[in-house]
Amino acid sequence: MAIAIGGRTRRLRRIVVGQEGVLLAAIVLLFLVVGALNPRFLAETNLQSIFLGNAYIAVAAIGMSMVIISGNIDVSVGSLIGCMATLSGSLAVAGWPIPLSWLVPIVASMAITSVMGFLVAYLRIPSIVASLGMMSILKGSLIIVTGGAWISNLPDGYALAQMRPLSVPMPVWFMVVLTAAAAAWMRYSAAGRAIYAVGGNAEAARLAGISRERVVMMVFMVHGLFAGIAAVLFATQLSVIQSTVPPNLELTIITASVVGGVSILGGTGTVVGSTLAAVLLAAIGSSLIFVNISPYWLRAVQGVLILATVLADLARRRRQAAHR
Amino acid sequence: MEPVLRLQDVSKAFPGVQALRGVQFDVRAGEVHALLGENGAGKSTLIKIVSGVYRPDSGSIVLDGQPVQLHSPHEAQRAGIATIYQELLLFPELTVAENIFMGHAPRRAWGGIDWRAAATGARQILASLDIHDLDVEAPVGALSVGNRQRVEIAKALSQKARILIMDEPTAALTQADVERLFAIVRRLRERGVGVVYISHRMAEVFALADRVTVLRDGAYVGTRDAAQTGEGELITMMVGRTIDQLFPKSDVPIGMPVLEVEDLSLAGVLDGVSLTVRAGEIVGLAGLVGSGRSELAQTIFGIAPATSGTIRVAGELVRIDSAATATRLGIAYVPEDRATQGLIRPMRIRENLSLAVLGELARRWFVDRAAEMRLAEDAIRRFSIRAPGPEQIVGKLSGGNQQKVVLGKWLATKPRVLIMDEPTRGIDVGAKAEIHRLMTELAGQGLAILMISSELPEVLGMSDRVLVMREGRLVAELPRADATQEAVASAMMRTAKAA
Amino acid sequence: MATADPRAAMPGRLHGLMLRHEMVLAAILVAALFVLSLQTDRFLTTDNLLNQGRLMAEIGLIALPMTYIIITAGIDLSVGSIMGLCAIMLGYGWKNLGLPLELSIALSLLIGTIAGAVNGWFITRVRVPPLIMTLATLALYRGLAEGISQARSVRGYPDWFFVLGQGELLGVPTQLWLLLVATVVAAVVLARTSFGRMLYAIGSNETAARFSGLPVDRCKIAIYALSGFTAGLAAWIFVSRVSTTRSDMGTGVELDVIAAVVLGGTSIFGGTGTILGTALGVVLVQLLKNGLALTGVKGDATIVVIGSVLILSILVSNWLRARRGVD
Repeated sequence: MAIAIGGRTRRLRRIVVGQEGVLLAAIVLLFLVVGALNPRFLAETNLQSIFLGNAYIAVAAIGMSMVIISGNIDVSVGSLIGCMATLSGSLAVAGWPIPLSWLVPIVASMAITSVMGFLVAYLRIPSIVASLGMMSILKGSLIIVTGGAWISNLPDGYALAQMRPLSVPMPVWFMVVLTAAAAAWMRYSAAGRAIYAVGGNAEAARLAGISRERVVMMVFMVHGLFAGIAAVLFATQLSVIQSTVPPNLELTIITASVVGGVSILGGTGTVVGSTLAAVLLAAIGSSLIFVNISPYWLRAVQGVLILATVLADLARRRRQAAHR
Repeated sequence: MEPVLRLQDVSKAFPGVQALRGVQFDVRAGEVHALLGENGAGKSTLIKIVSGVYRPDSGSIVLDGQPVQLHSPHEAQRAGIATIYQELLLFPELTVAENIFMGHAPRRAWGGIDWRAAATGARQILASLDIHDLDVEAPVGALSVGNRQRVEIAKALSQKARILIMDEPTAALTQADVERLFAIVRRLRERGVGVVYISHRMAEVFALADRVTVLRDGAYVGTRDAAQTGEGELITMMVGRTIDQLFPKSDVPIGMPVLEVEDLSLAGVLDGVSLTVRAGEIVGLAGLVGSGRSELAQTIFGIAPATSGTIRVAGELVRIDSAATATRLGIAYVPEDRATQGLIRPMRIRENLSLAVLGELARRWFVDRAAEMRLAEDAIRRFSIRAPGPEQIVGKLSGGNQQKVVLGKWLATKPRVLIMDEPTRGIDVGAKAEIHRLMTELAGQGLAILMISSELPEVLGMSDRVLVMREGRLVAELPRADATQEAVASAMMRTAKAA
Repeated sequence: MATADPRAAMPGRLHGLMLRHEMVLAAILVAALFVLSLQTDRFLTTDNLLNQGRLMAEIGLIALPMTYIIITAGIDLSVGSIMGLCAIMLGYGWKNLGLPLELSIALSLLIGTIAGAVNGWFITRVRVPPLIMTLATLALYRGLAEGISQARSVRGYPDWFFVLGQGELLGVPTQLWLLLVATVVAAVVLARTSFGRMLYAIGSNETAARFSGLPVDRCKIAIYALSGFTAGLAAWIFVSRVSTTRSDMGTGVELDVIAAVVLGGTSIFGGTGTILGTALGVVLVQLLKNGLALTGVKGDATIVVIGSVLILSILVSNWLRARRGVD
C-alpha cells in the first residue's frame, strides 16, 4: 500500500536525518578521527573508561529527558545522585543486605522526586524554583549527615558497577537496557505519549482529558527511579564513595538531554538521543586528552554544543512554522 | 424528532459582562444547525458551555432527554460531544494516527497501545470520510491547516461523537479546502451526526444548514428553518436595528492625505498593497480572517516591518522599523486582541494609559507621577471609563471599559493616524455606541482613521470608503455610496478561482 | 475620586501583595536577629555584622540586575560563570598579557558586559528561552575561564588593589558602601523611572509592551548586559577580598542570587518584585548562614534552611495570592 510505504520511508528518513542520526554520525566520526590521530584512544581500557565511567550519566539523562519533555527541569539531580550514592554506601557499610543497599536508595530517590513533583504539579511552584530549593536541602543534608567523610571498606559483592555479566560491564548493560525500555515506554504506552502531549500543548492535553498534574507527578517519579539507579551505579563503580555532590553533575545530565535532541521548549525528544549524547560528551571529554588539548576546555566545548543544538532546534521549529 | 441535545434557559456571566441570558438551543441527529450572531453575541460562550469548558450559572443541559452536568471537556467528549476550535488543538510532534487516538487508543492485552491497530483505525476513519490522501504516519506539524482540520474531524469521529461543534471552520481555509470540508460535513449529516456550525459567512450557512439560530447581545433571538428564511431576515435578527440608527456617522470635511502606503509587501503575507487615508476620513478595511488585514496594520505600525514598498506620513517618506518608530511618527494602533496585545491587565489604569507616552511624561528619566495622574483622570472623564479611579487594575474592568483604556492610551500620543483593529469586538452595545461616537468625533478633529472590522454593518456604517482585502491583496475600493453589504461581501469572498 | 485611594501615594509597585510579602520577610528577619542574638553574644556585634556585609556584597550586587531580569520573566543562570570568567581575565590580563592592572580591571568589566549582552542578544533576536541560553553560557563562560586559565591561579596583586575587597571607609567595609549606593540607585530606577516601568510592563505582558511602542528588545539586552557588568564588578570585589584569582570563582553564585531574589518576593513568572524585597532576601540569607554557623551549625548545612525557606516562602505567597483572588 502506497501510504504505508510512504510512512515507513518517512520514518526511516526521520531517524537518519534526526538528532539520533546526527549524534551517531558524530560519535563514529569522533572515534575515527581521534583514533587515527592517536590509536591509543581506541584501546580497550580507554573505551571501557569512557563507557563505564559515564553510563550512569546516560541513565540519569533518560529521566531528565522525560522531565524536560514534560516542560519542566530539575537542577537538583546532581545533589540527589550524590545523596543517594552516599546512602547506598552507608547502608552497605552498616551491614544491610547488599540487595537492600541497592534498592533502598532507589526508593528514597523516588520519594524525594515525588515531593518535588507534588510541589510542581499540585502546588504550582515552577520546577526551576522547586528544584533549586531541593538542591540546597539535599546538598546541605549530605554534609550534615556525613560531615564530608569518605565511605570505604565496602563489603564484597557490593560493587554492582564492577560486575561483568557475559563480559560486558554492568553499567553498559544498564545503559542499553534502560534506554531501550524507556524508549519503548515513551513510544508505545499511553502514559509515555501523554508526556509529549503535556509538554507540547498543555491546553490541548487538558481538553483531551489528560491530567497535567498526574502526568507531571508521574514524570518526576520515573525521573527519581532513573536518578536512583544512576546513583547506585555511581556509588558502586569505585571502591570508595566520596560523600560530596559531584561538581556540575546536573549540568552534564541536562546537557546530555538537550544535546540529545530533547527540545528545550518541551514536547519533543527521545531518550535514545540523550543516551547517544551522553556517550558523545564522554567521548569528547576523553578525546581532548588524546589529541593534546587541555581538558580544561571541555566545558567550553559543552557550552558550544548546547548552544548549537538549541539554535538548530529553534531553526527547525521556525522552518516548520513557516511551512504551514 | 426529539433533539439529541437541548439547552434550556442557559445564562452565564463573567466579571463585568452578562455573556448569555436565558438562551435556548437544540441539536437533532443528522442535521446541520448554524449558530449566527455578531462578535460578542455569545456564540463562543454557548459552545464552551456545550463542550464542558464553562459551567452555566443557571439553566439546564439535556442530553437524550436526561439532564446532565458537564464538568470538563473530557466529560463532554465521553457524552459524545466533540468540538473543533478555531485554534486547532493538535500535537504537532505526534503523527496523524496518534493525534486521532490521543487519550483512547486501542490497547494490547498487556495494556500497551496497539499503534498498528491505531494506524489501521485511523485509515478506516479517514476513508469513511472519503479522505484518502492523508498519511497517518506523518507528523501533524507538517500538514496544512485544511488537513489538520480533517484530522480534528477524524479525531472527533474516533470518539464516537454524536454532536460535532465547528467554530468558524472555514476561517483559515482556501476555497478548495472549504469545498472538501463541506463534503465531509454533508457526509457526517448522512451518518446521523448533529453538527453545530458557527460561521460569519451567509453563503456557507445557506449552503449547509438545515436550521439557523441567531443570538444577539447574549440573548436568544430565534430559530428558523434555513429553507424558509433569507439573508435579509437573518441580518435583521442579528443586528436588530437598521444600520442608520446604529452608527453616528457624520460628514466632516476631508483634508490632505496623512497616510500613504504604496506597494507594501511582506514576504508571504502582503502583496503590493497601496492605500491612502486622509485627515478626517474613516477608511474601513474589510476582509475575511486570514486575508492579511491585521498583518497590514501591523506592518504599517512596524511590528512586522515591510519587506518592500513605501510609507508616507503627512507627505513625508518614512521608514518604519519598529512600533516605537511608528509611535514617534504619530501612528497609533489599537490592536485586535485587547488581552494579549492591547493591555497589561495586572497593571493599573494609570499605568496602562501612560505606557505609550512614558518618554514624554518622564522628566530626566523619572516618571512624573502628577502628570501621569492628570492624564489618567482626564482620560477617565473624557472616555467615561467606568472605574473607581486611576488606580484600578485594568484586568478587572469590563470589555468596553478596557477598550476605552486602550483607546485612551493611544490618543494620549496625539496621533495623526489611528489604526483600529476590530475596535468593538466583544464589548456590549452601549460601549460600542460610545466608541463609534468617539470615532466620529476624532475624525471631525482631523484624525485619519483606518478601521479593520469583521462586522459588515460596522464597516458600512462607519466608513467614508471601504477597502477589501483578500489573500494579502487589496481587491476592491468602494466609496460609501457604493458600499453595500452585497458588494463588500462578494469582494471579500470571491474565490481564488479567477487567480 | 482618584486621590481617595491611599495606595496612590505609594511608590511603584508597592501595592498590597508586595507590601505584605516584604512585611513578612522583615518580620522573619527581626525574629531571626532576635533569636540568633540570644543564642550567641558574638552575633549581634557591629564587627560581626559589618563583616557579614563584606561577605554579602557580591551576591547583593548581582541580585540587583537579577531582580530586573526576573521581573521581565527572564532568568540569568550564567552570572556565576561570568564572575569566574571576569576574575580570570582580570588576573590573566595583568599577569600574562602584561597590562597595567587598572586596564586589566577595565577589560574584565568590559568582557563581563559583553558576555551579558551576548545572552541578551540571543534571547531577544534569536528568541532562545533565557533559561536555556544562560544554561548554555553557564557552561560556555565557565569553560572559557577554565580553558584560558588552565586552572592556574594568579596572586601577588599590589596593595592598592585590596582596598576594595579588604579596606574600610569611615569604619565600614568599602564594598558595603558600593552595595548600599547600588541598591538605592537600583531601587529608585525600578520604582520611579520610565525604564523601571517598562520592566514591569514587559514582565506582565511582553506582547502588549511591544504593541505599545516600547523598545522591548533594547531594554532586555540592556539588563542582561548590566547583569554581566555587575558580575564583573562582583568578580573584582571577590578577587580583591580573597587576594587570588581562580577559575572556579563564583561557582553556584547564580543559585544563591536567584534564591535571594525569589525569597524577596519577585515572581519567577515576571511582572512583580521590588529591590527592597531583594535586599531583605539577601540580608536574610546571609544572616541565617552566619547566625546558624555561630550557634554551632556546620557551615554548609545552613543551606538546608535556605532551601526550605525558599520553597516555603513561595508556598506562602502563592497561598496569599490565591486567597486574595488575584488571577
